[in-house]
Amino acid sequence: MTTDNVMEEPPFWADALLRLLLRPEDRESVSGDLLEEYRESIVPALGSKADRWYVRQVGWFLLRASWFWGLAIGATLIARYLFDTFAPVAYTPGVMHPRSQMMSQTIVAIFGAAAFWNTWRTTHIRTGILIAVVAGALGGVVSSAGTGVMLACWHDAATLQAWQSSGGLGEAFVGVPILLLPISLVSGVFGAIAAKGLSIPTRHRGRAAF
Amino acid sequence: MADVLGAFEQAVLLAIIRLGDDAYGRAILKEVQARLERDIAAGAVHATLVRLEDKDLLSSRLGPGTPVRSGRARRYYRPTSAGVEALNDAREAVDTIWRGLKWPLHPRKVKAHA
Repeated sequence: MTTDNVMEEPPFWADALLRLLLRPEDRESVSGDLLEEYRESIVPALGSKADRWYVRQVGWFLLRASWFWGLAIGATLIARYLFDTFAPVAYTPGVMHPRSQMMSQTIVAIFGAAAFWNTWRTTHIRTGILIAVVAGALGGVVSSAGTGVMLACWHDAATLQAWQSSGGLGEAFVGVPILLLPISLVSGVFGAIAAKGLSIPTRHRGRAAF
Repeated sequence: MADVLGAFEQAVLLAIIRLGDDAYGRAILKEVQARLERDIAAGAVHATLVRLEDKDLLSSRLGPGTPVRSGRARRYYRPTSAGVEALNDAREAVDTIWRGLKWPLHPRKVKAHA
């Protein structure tokens, strides 16, 4: 019965995160839909496991907002590793090669764009920064998985030597994924502030309301 | 020719038509889940609703909230004439593809690969 579960509350942080991820015009209706489903169907059916269901639903929204950017970061890194494997160049310690510069700038631009877009979409600076950081984590996972596949395909002595000269496996599997997090945070802050500063009006839904 | 609709988009639009004046987010989710006979994330339906509205195949309005939603508003959906046309086109395309074949197909009669 509906009224029995009216006072059941999903995890506060998950509800706050969901509202942060939604556009202003969807904030009430979508979080209300999820709350209604949680109270009327999920709590009676799952009991104490209902909170897990709610968190999973919010996770879906978070993943949906960040997967594209994470994939773009991962693809950029994998492209760099492919170049280093098949067209190796001599890296001089302390000197940034144009290839490294290009990759770093691309990654910073992707993080900045992710934060800009999501701040503009939701009007929250926090959302932009959050999506950039999640994209960094996803990018690290994608890049590590891609590196693993590359190693499985090409592991002859010459290829391993080329990898070693461009930083080695430790950098590919651990160093870069860890480094992505602070880079995403800093780039995300700049992208989010830029979106807030420009104050470009968003397109509101319901224009053709019946 | 209107927009080409994916299967999930068709499922969402048809759910809205079936629900009539009661077509709001959660009801649409339940209807789609019942028709497709599988669990679907609320976000998947929401993303489809946004996409269909951006394509002007749907229109929406906010309605009052209820106590079980802690007073949060409901958004009610209705297909536009372009949305209905897109559904008709999708159905016509399927009918055209199937014309002349007897349904359901039997693997032995159509020489299907194992």
